[in-house]
Parts: sequence; C-alpha cells; structure tokens
Amino acid sequence: MALLRAVRYGGIMKGELERQRVVVLGGGTAGWMAAAALVRLLPHAADVHVVESAEIGIVGVGEATLPHLRAYVQTLGIDEAEFMRATHATFKLGIDFRDFGAVGTSYLHPFGSFGTEMNGVHFHHFWRRMLAAGRDDDLFRYSICNVMAAAHRFAPPAADPTSLLSTYSYAYQFDATLFGPYLRRYAEARGARRTEGKVVSVEQHSGTGDVTALRMDDGSRIEGDLFVDCSGFRSLLLAGTLGEEWEDWSHWLPCDRACALPCAPPPGPIEPYTRATAMTAGWRWRIPLQHRVGNGYVYSSAHISDDEAADAIAAAVEGTPLAEPRVLRFRAGRRRRSWVKNVVAVGLASGFLEPLESTSIYLVQGAITQLVELFPQGRITDADRDEFNRVTDYEYDRIRDFLILHYHATTRADSPFWDHVRTMAVPDSLEEKIALWRHAGRVQHYSQGLFLEPSWIAVYVGQGMLPDRWDQRADAHDAAALAGAMDRLGARIADAVGRMPDHAAFLARREAMIGAPA
Amino acid sequence: MTDGAIRSIVVVGGGIVGLSAALAFAHALPQARVEVIETPSDPAALADRMPSTLPATAHFHARIGIDETELIRRGIALHRLGTRFEHWSADGSTWIHAFGDYGRPVGGIGFHDLWLRARRARQALAYDRYSAAAMIGEAGRFVHPEDDPRSPLATYVYGLQLEPTGYRSRLLDAATGAGVFISPGAVAHVEQREGGGLGAVLLQDGRRAEGDLFVDCAGPRGHLISSVDESVEDWSSWLPVDRLLVGETTSTVAPASLDAAVATSVGWRWAIPLPERRAFGLAFRSSETEAARARRILSLEEEGAHGGETVAIRCARRPRPWVRNVLALGDAATAVDPLHGTNLSLAHSAIERAIELLPGRDFHPLELAEYNRRTEQETLRVRDFLALHYLRSGRTRGEFWAGLGKRALPGTLARTVEHFLARGRIPFFEEETFEKRSWVAAMIGLGLLPDHPSAMTGAVPAAEAARAMHAMAATLADLPRRLPPYSDYLTRMRRS
Ligand SMILES: Cc1cc2nc3c(=O)[nH]c(=O)nc-3n(C[C@H](O)[C@H](O)[C@H](O)COP(=O)(O)OP(=O)(O)OC[C@H]3O[C@@H](n4cnc5c(N)ncnc54)[C@H](O)[C@@H]3O)c2cc1C
Repeated sequence: MALLRAVRYGGIMKGELERQRVVVLGGGTAGWMAAAALVRLLPHAADVHVVESAEIGIVGVGEATLPHLRAYVQTLGIDEAEFMRATHATFKLGIDFRDFGAVGTSYLHPFGSFGTEMNGVHFHHFWRRMLAAGRDDDLFRYSICNVMAAAHRFAPPAADPTSLLSTYSYAYQFDATLFGPYLRRYAEARGARRTEGKVVSVEQHSGTGDVTALRMDDGSRIEGDLFVDCSGFRSLLLAGTLGEEWEDWSHWLPCDRACALPCAPPPGPIEPYTRATAMTAGWRWRIPLQHRVGNGYVYSSAHISDDEAADAIAAAVEGTPLAEPRVLRFRAGRRRRSWVKNVVAVGLASGFLEPLESTSIYLVQGAITQLVELFPQGRITDADRDEFNRVTDYEYDRIRDFLILHYHATTRADSPFWDHVRTMAVPDSLEEKIALWRHAGRVQHYSQGLFLEPSWIAVYVGQGMLPDRWDQRADAHDAAALAGAMDRLGARIADAVGRMPDHAAFLARREAMIGAPA
Repeated sequence: MTDGAIRSIVVVGGGIVGLSAALAFAHALPQARVEVIETPSDPAALADRMPSTLPATAHFHARIGIDETELIRRGIALHRLGTRFEHWSADGSTWIHAFGDYGRPVGGIGFHDLWLRARRARQALAYDRYSAAAMIGEAGRFVHPEDDPRSPLATYVYGLQLEPTGYRSRLLDAATGAGVFISPGAVAHVEQREGGGLGAVLLQDGRRAEGDLFVDCAGPRGHLISSVDESVEDWSSWLPVDRLLVGETTSTVAPASLDAAVATSVGWRWAIPLPERRAFGLAFRSSETEAARARRILSLEEEGAHGGETVAIRCARRPRPWVRNVLALGDAATAVDPLHGTNLSLAHSAIERAIELLPGRDFHPLELAEYNRRTEQETLRVRDFLALHYLRSGRTRGEFWAGLGKRALPGTLARTVEHFLARGRIPFFEEETFEKRSWVAAMIGLGLLPDHPSAMTGAVPAAEAARAMHAMAATLADLPRRLPPYSDYLTRMRRS
C-alpha cells in the first residue's frame, strides 16, 4: 500500500505527493537508467531501491544508441563531455549498412534529413524526378550525416534552426559495461538504495495478485508498492510471476543469437558511425569506441551453427580480439503487455528486437519517460496501464516493421537465410507502407515514435526500392534550374563538411579541454 | 509523376471553402486547369458563412498568397486571440480560451502541473490570469507577437475573424488572378465514370464540366461525394446542437480580439466582433426549443441581437471524405457547430493535406486511405474537444444541459478526461487541432480538476513555484497598460 506522508514545502504542511516505494529489479542498463531518472525526476514521489545480482550479471552488450539518448543525458543534468569520457564514448551519425539490398551495395541510415524541401515538397521527390530525367545522382549526397561519415568528420549541429547544419543529429557509441555503473553512481548519490543479491521468490497479494515483496537468497525481504522489472531476458516478475504471454516475432526476424567479439582498435580513423554488414545468415555489427571496437555476428541458429558464426566473426574483424567470442541467445518478440498489475517491465524483460537499428536502449528510455509521466499517485488505474501499453504497442510495432524491411527489401539470393527473408510474408502494416512508397514515394505519416520519414527513405532507396512516381508538384520546376539548385546544395554540404574537424581530433580536443582523467 | 498527373480539377461550390481550395490547387499545380462552379450557397455550410479561424490560417494564407495586413486594411478581418466562455462550468465562472501559453514551466515542470498544485493549496489565481493572450484580449488590446523568447508577447499566436462577404470577394479576386475559371451554375446531375468515380458534372443550364478530380465544397449535403459514397457518421449524441440562429448587426463598439461563447438555458450564444459590425447567434436543439423562442431568448439576452436566420445543422462526418476522384472538403466532409470556430480551419487543414498527398489520376486506394486516415485522426479529436464542452461542462441548469453530463463519451475523449482527472495529463494523439495547452485550458475552465498533482511537481518546491507564478501574473497584469487599445493598433495598421 502506498504510504501517505506529509511533505514539508516552504514551511507549509501539505499531504500532497504520495511516496511510492519503487523496487527496480535488475542493475543492467535498463535498471540503472530507470533508477537514475526516477531519483532525478520524482525526488518527492519515489523511494528507489535497486536489486541486482553480481552472480547473474548483466548482458553487457548494447553499445550503439539513438539521438534520443541525448535528451536523457540532458534531463539528468549530466555534462555530455564528462559522460562521454566516463563511458569511452564516440559520436554516431548513423548506421552504415553494407550488402543488405544486394552484395556490394552500401548506404548510411543517417540521423538527419535528405536535402531541403521546396514549396512544401520533400526533397526526395525532386531527386526522383531528376533521376527519371536521366540525372545520375546519389540521394545520399544530400545527407549531411552521410557526407560527414564518409569523411570521418564530426561537429555538433548548429543551434540556429534556419541553418543547413541544424538538420542533423547524433547519438553515442559507448561501453555498455561502463554506462550502468556511471548511472549507478549518479542514482546512489541522489538517494537510490541498492541491494546486491539474488531474488529467489516473489510474494504476491492474495487478493489482487499485486507483487508485494521480493525474497532474497539471504532470507531478507524487499517490499515495494511498484516494481520495475529490469531483470533482462528472464523477465522474472512480468513473465515469471505474472505469466504475461509472449508474442513471438521470430518468423519475421529469425536472428536469435549473437556472437560478440570485441577487438583492439585498428589503426586509422575512428568512424563516427556504426557499421552493419550483412552476412550469409544474418549480419555483423562494428561499433567503434574510444578504446576498442565492438563486433558481433547476429545470426539465425536455424541457418548457421555457433562454431561457424564464431569463425565467421573472427575472420571478419579488423583488430586483435580482446576476449574469447561470447554467444548470446535471444528471441524476437515481446510480452503482450509491459505494465501488468503493479509491475512495469523495462528493457529486455519487456521484449527484444534484434539490435539492427540500436533500438533497445531507446525503448528503455521511452518506457521510463512514460512511467515518470504516469507515475501513480493513489492507486494504479487501468487507464495508466492501458496508456503505457498503448504507447509501447505502437513503438514496438513500428520498430518491428522497420527492421523487417531491412531484410525484406533485398535482391540477395545467395543463401537460405536471405531466400527466407526475401520471400517471407511480412505484416500487413508493412506491406501497406511498402506499397505506398513504391507507388507514390510517400512514407506513412506519424509524428510520435521512432523512424520518421528520412529513415524510411534511407532504407527504401539505400536498398534499391525506388518509387514509381513522385509528387506531381516536383514537375512544376524547370529541370535545368532544379539541377542547378541541387548542385549548389550538394556543394554547400560538401563545403560545410570540409570545414569540420576530424572525428578523432574532435574527441581528443574535447578530452583535453576537460582536463586529464582523475 | 510524368504521366498520370492530375490535369484538371472541378471544384463545386463557390463559397469560401471552394475558392480557398481552388486557389490552393492553382498555386500548387500551375499546370492544372482549375474550375470553380459557383453553386447557390447552402445556408448550413458553416465554414463558408462563419469564417472564424484558428492560428494555423497564417500558414494557409501564406500558401495561397493572401496578405493579412491587406485584409485588415480593407476592413475584412480582425485578429482573434481566443474566446471568452461564460456560464459553462458548474460554478458559472468565466474563463478565456486563448491561443497561447498559460504560464511558463518552472524547473522543467509544466506550468499547469504547478498551477494545479498551487490551486489545491488555494494559492493560485484563475488559470487565464497567467496567459498573456487572455490578459491582452480581455483588456481590449492586441499587438502582433514578438520573436524574443523572453518577452511575454512571444507566448501567443492568433487566428482571424473574417467578414464573410468581403473575404469571399477577396478570394474570388485572387482565384481569378491565379487563372482559376469561375462559372456560375447549379449541379443538375452527376455522371458516373466507368470503373468508378465521376466522369462529369451536368449543370442546370445544360453545360458539362469534366475533370480528373472533383472537389465537393458545396456544404453538408455533399451532393457529389454522396453519389460515390453515402456513409455518414452521426455525432449528434455528442454534439447535440442541431439548430442555429445566425445574425449580424452593425456595431460602433471598439473592436475586440476576443469573441464570446455564453452558455444559456437552451444552448449557447455567440458574439463575434467583426470590423464595424458584430455577428451573433444562438446554438440550440430543436427537440426542446422552437425557433421563435430561441429568437426571443437571444434578443433578450444579447443586446441588439434581433432577426437572424434559422439554420438546421447536423453534426456528422463522412468517414471517407476522399473516394475515387471525389474529394469532400469543409462541411461536406465534416460538419460541426460553430463552437471554437473550427469549421474553416478544418477545411484549410484538409486542403493542405490533400495537396501534400495528391495522388495521380489512378487515385490509388492506398494514397486515399492515407488521406482518409489522417483526416479521421484530426476530425475525431476536434469532435472530442467540442464534445468535452457539452458533455462535461458541469452546467446542469437549463433544458439543453440537463442530462448531457450523463451521456457516454466517445472512447478517445473518455480516455482523455480520465487521464486528466487522474493527474492533469493529456494523453498523446497523432493529430491534434487543439494543442495540449488548449485541452488543459478547457478542462480547467470547465472545472475538471485532477485528483492528484503530477508526481513530477515534487521536483520544484511549492514556495519556489509560488514565487515564479506570482511574478508571471504580476508581469501579465501590467501588460495591457503598456499596449495601445486595439482600435488604435488597427488604425495604425490601416494607415501604414
Ligand atoms: C547481441 C545484442 C546486442 C545489442 N546491441 C544493442 C545496441 O547496439 N543498442 C541498444 O540500444 N541495445 C542493444 N542491445 C540491447 C541492450 O543490451 C539491452 O537493452 C540493455 O543492455 C538493457 O538490458 P537489461 O538491463 O534489460 O538487462 P540485463 O543487462 O540482462 O540486466 C538484468 C539485470 O537483472 C538482474 N537479475 C536478473 N535476475 C535476477 C535475480 N533473480 N535476482 C537479482 N537480480 C537479477 C541481473 O543481475 C542484471 O543486473 C543488444 C542486445 C543484444 C543481446
């Protein structure tokens, strides 16, 4: 039951906020992200207690992020440079997809738009029209991120919204084993409690079925009003205790294992992007950090054995391996609902979509944002849970469709894996999106959630799916004038990027500015 | 596109909506032939006859090349900062729904959360005392918003009150200038096209108008659209007004930037300032109030409100406003009563969306589905916003209101109300004509107050919030004195 406690504000007594005892089960990225946000944003409403087990440990991967994480860092009031140093982070401008649409092709999915719209018509329509008129031109030339990435350069976007250089964003690539501990220090300094130990059983209210306490291996009990299940793939409370059903998506996203192999950084530039290279039974990631490069082969165990995958990744990496290859197992899908009774699952405990677009930490952040906004005062209502689950549903559905597109939009026919994904039936919602694009060059519109128009355009065009038509307003412009305008835009981008610093140099300079590590 | 592009557009309906659509199409598609058939106007086409607009008009006007200053100079428009609501809530208190921010966040916490907390401690002024637009409007002032984000004058936007006859003729001039063909006529018959859709419109004088796309802007009857799709979704259980008494009178009182919506026993009445005149009217329900009685009540309650025309309306929408090559806009697509003045703005938004998503001559079902999907998202939330005022007003006095509070809400509105009552939060919806700040102002104005403050308010101590709120209110209370009366401002605009 919620404790009603009087809080003292400026000398006036008001029994206003009801403090909730929040137990966060799990001390991985999800658990500490949740704990840090709760102590920061709900200092008078939440008493946060994190339970984690060193014996069980954390998954310890998850190094590439999305630009939204910057808002999280800012909300916590953390200095970006200090945070990046502590996690050995680099900047990320997008993902470089290689060999997906066809072997030998590549494109960057950028954190930014393509070109600039004219008279309300989006740039890609002009590009498509000129392509049809015989102008042999690469759409990605008009993506600032792409031009920066190719030159290994980096500069933060401009604040002035009218500037061409304000039209992109960036994310971080960091050491996943350092991110959690960094947030742990933050959360503990602001009052979060922590218990190390293993949960052996869970107590529930006999009437409501709400979780009331966790029983630990040393016999102690940890009580709470609200339980945030961040226990990873185990999903100890949501799936284990409450039995929430699993919705399986592995028929669309067959990859179910990863073989991770971190390496020493090879000589050469630090790439300000993540690489995703298609392989015969999946794809491999390459995530450059300051001090090492993360690598891993994400594969379908139905199409390749663990040993073959380990050999393949070992053969593909560029630097000296820093560890033995480590195999992780997972499944694509999610729990039907993420918030059930007084348990809110965040992170892998709620579901997992493979890391092709680095969406998992974003989903963690989104769930935490929702939780803070819907944080119970008084009893938890169905309306709260439904709203949380509604938002989670559409996040998952959209990401799912977007990921499937990467596999499906291909002409690869060089292995059973690619034959399967190329020919499989996709969800109706994706089928419609693809048809709308192919027919008219339009991206289904939505305003909240991940992957807005430029992302879809990048994958469609990057993987060789061109629309038959374009916005007829693009025809109104004189072709020669249009070609001139496009050339000038391309030149402006090239010029602006040419004046940006090298990514590694930018990192080093910032490092120097905040002084030597303590 | 290359081939398959739309080459000709026939707009049926020469009112404000039809001309606006024609002008927008002519601007967007210079190669296309655009023709407007000026059919006799339908009195129930509210977007044509009651053109109040929301702030998004500025964008639409820029698109079609209509200059606001010119409208002001010609005495066609006034600025609109919002609406004063009187007698809607249970305690009868008045509030102003203004197009702008109410307060500013403190320590990252939204103002309305802090206001709700302070109100529980009886330490808050009325919510609209924290809105610059409300304070300026109430004091009979207006200035254009500033850019400097620190200024209280940067916290609002504005719509327009348009005088329908003058505005229509301005649009007509612009349309003619843009090469739109205008021909008077009345539709006698529509000719189906092989394979679905329309082939031509036959006029009473025997002419035939052919086109690739037919745009139905002739009012709620939807002559064209209903010839290809008859479905209509009735909203009358949520939007109970079905009769309007609509009138206008000359006026010598100083121009105002606020209009008024006053709840009364048989419904609600409006008073809308226009240049040198005033539009007035009463919205009521025919099942309990006869037109003659409505007329009596209106003339008693509203000074100078004599005469006026009775108009029957039916609040409803067409679930498929775009079918084959027929697109319905304005009241032909969505018919709502004039509360908040949304009709014309809904039409503007639909025109912009139609141009953004303009299909080819094949009118591919997927493209139309995308248009209809987004239109639905938008209109359902406008319906919700208006329905909130009728179904959760708190007012029970008067035959119109008794029982309304017990009616079930549409699901999306029920969810919105439930969330607000829990902790003052407005849930997210994809397309919202009324932003969250408007929803919050309406909820608070109607007397819907949450049980608990948002848990996030704890991050800002109440004393700190109180100081900040006090400072905001003081600044705003002082603001009108520093601004010219609206009439002076208009005079200056007209001269310069
Ligand atoms: C191969 C792979 C690659 C990935 N790459 C990315 C990426 O690039 N970008 C991205 O955003 N995400 C990525 N992810 C996902 C990302 O790793 C996770 O979302 C993130 O690490 C969060 O994990 P978690 O905290 O939910 O779970 P975990 O890290 O597994 O943490 C679970 C916690 O629960 C505790 N626990 C469990 N059971 C008990 C018990 N009985 N008693 C006490 N404590 C218990 C554990 O000790 C641990 O602290 C990747 C995932 C995989 C598998």
